Amino acid sequence: MSSSSGVIVLDNGGGLCKAGFGGDRDPVAVVPNCLGRPAGAGGKRWMVADQLLAPEVDVTSLALRRPFDRGYLINTDLQREVWDRVLRGLLHADPAHTSLLLVEPLFNIPSIQRATDELVFEDFGFQSFYVADSPSLVHLYEASRCPALATAQCSLVVDCGFSFTHAAPVLQNFTLNYGARRLDLGGKALTNYLKELVSYRSVNVMDETFIIDDAKEKLCFVSLDVTRDLHLARRSGKDNPFKCTYVLPDGITCTKGFVKDKDEAWRFLSSRDVQSLPLAATREGTAHLEDTEKAKDRRIDLTKNEFNMTNERFLVPEMIFRPADLGMNEAGLAECVVRAVHACHPHLHPVLFESIILTGGSTLFPQFAERLQQELRPLIRDDYRLKIITQEDPILGVWRGGSLLASSPDFEEMCVTKLEYEEFGSARCRRRFFH
Amino acid sequence: MEDDVPGGPLRRMSSRIRRVAPKMVAALASSDNREQAALARLEALESDNAFAEVMEVSSEEDDSLDGDGQAHMQRRQSKNMKRKTRQGKAMENAKRAPRTFIEILHDANLEALPRHVPTYLRAAVGPPSASARRYFCAVCGFAACYTCVRCGARFCSCRCQVIHNETRCLKFIS
Ligand SMILES: [Zn+2]
Ligand SMILES: [Zn+2]
Repeated sequence: MSSSSGVIVLDNGGGLCKAGFGGDRDPVAVVPNCLGRPAGAGGKRWMVADQLLAPEVDVTSLALRRPFDRGYLINTDLQREVWDRVLRGLLHADPAHTSLLLVEPLFNIPSIQRATDELVFEDFGFQSFYVADSPSLVHLYEASRCPALATAQCSLVVDCGFSFTHAAPVLQNFTLNYGARRLDLGGKALTNYLKELVSYRSVNVMDETFIIDDAKEKLCFVSLDVTRDLHLARRSGKDNPFKCTYVLPDGITCTKGFVKDKDEAWRFLSSRDVQSLPLAATREGTAHLEDTEKAKDRRIDLTKNEFNMTNERFLVPEMIFRPADLGMNEAGLAECVVRAVHACHPHLHPVLFESIILTGGSTLFPQFAERLQQELRPLIRDDYRLKIITQEDPILGVWRGGSLLASSPDFEEMCVTKLEYEEFGSARCRRRFFH
Repeated sequence: MEDDVPGGPLRRMSSRIRRVAPKMVAALASSDNREQAALARLEALESDNAFAEVMEVSSEEDDSLDGDGQAHMQRRQSKNMKRKTRQGKAMENAKRAPRTFIEILHDANLEALPRHVPTYLRAAVGPPSASARRYFCAVCGFAACYTCVRCGARFCSCRCQVIHNETRCLKFIS
């Protein structure tokens, strides 16, 4: 074992599997929680987790199989493959002499818990096992860094991940399940939505999950004024602050896609004149003429190896704030937060509103926190303070909380041992985790 | 959210059809094309591979293909056989029993729990308080005031309508 701690911390997400040793600052592995293989000839072998990230791997048209569906572990056969690769191949761990801290989604289904226990104790043979949920770990980690949070002992954790988004109140290191609210949108749906838009408008990328994921991460942002930004996005050429180009891999000179002129793509964020531009200044007349040109461009060209993005850059993350625009009958993120807070005792409301912590990869879009602040303010009482805390690394936030918990002196006592599991079975052991 | 839980229609379907996502089932049962397209589109947002959903209904062909590939691979690389076989087996199992989360949820029968118990179903955020839906052109992304009578997609102008009709109309239900 490569670490002093005998605890493996595994934040097993639907998109990424984050694994390492308790007590460390960072996980050893942050890898896709899936298997993939090239669609064409030669695609016989399924590549697992980190193998998909190797520089020589051409990510074009990968067929993917994920152990997770809608945020929950539904396929332990696939999960076993990924864990085997991560735990044995990357962490060089010996489960028989190791404890496991596993992060599970809120409201996990009993049959899935049972299957998970089997995987942990029977397939991998871990010595002992503890299950934690992400909001409590994020709170634990942030409270260790921020004295005010530690004093208040509560926070509202907004976890916008791969499969869904949760707003969950945490009190004294326990997640208040009765207050947690879920929005069925996360990074996966956003990537698929971007695929749809790009395929519709320029080049067919419906099979390019990895590539469009990358384009989304590198180019999307949250708009602070959709109407204004839609107008700006109509402008032509250099006057269009959002226009940018993503180059697809060609399999010869490059196996990964990339953004053409990254600085130019983000110039608008720092340039004041664009941010403060009044609507009247956009040239409606010329914009319309130019739409005709654009419309022609937008016919699908299968030979193209790059595509442009303009309004897609902010219309995609916009869905988290307005799922109704997609035709989903669900409230947006701001209302989700308010409903989670209002499900708690009124004494907690003011404290929760001033301790909102953002975590999860989908909160990385530029201006995410500003937009949430902007939408929340009118929804809450004027005399309540509103404070949104962003994490240094929202992808690793949960894992770092797990690392902290795993290195606490009474961690081993909180675990269920393999012997206890064999004697009492899954259901009784689970009760110890307070879920 | 309760609407998303597969109810009566799903149970009556054969096990083969049950593999298709519930919204797709609802869509197929619906006579309204626009509704079909809208539901299928939402379902597509949760899929891993764009065309897999279509394949899943008749996946026997795919299974056997995969099996052949597996056998072929084992013959070629007997040195590494243990690992290949295990991976192959995992992939086979994965295909044989692709229980979706919706099916697992259905079997969990969470509706039977008392009201005060927090569950997956009760954690759903619920509908927006003010649902002023905004419409964006499916072709160019700008504000859209027209609706396609065949599929319900939105567009902003005649130009975009032409492109829509030529290339993408009814894509999600064909
Ligand atoms: Zn249009
Ligand atoms: Zn149409």
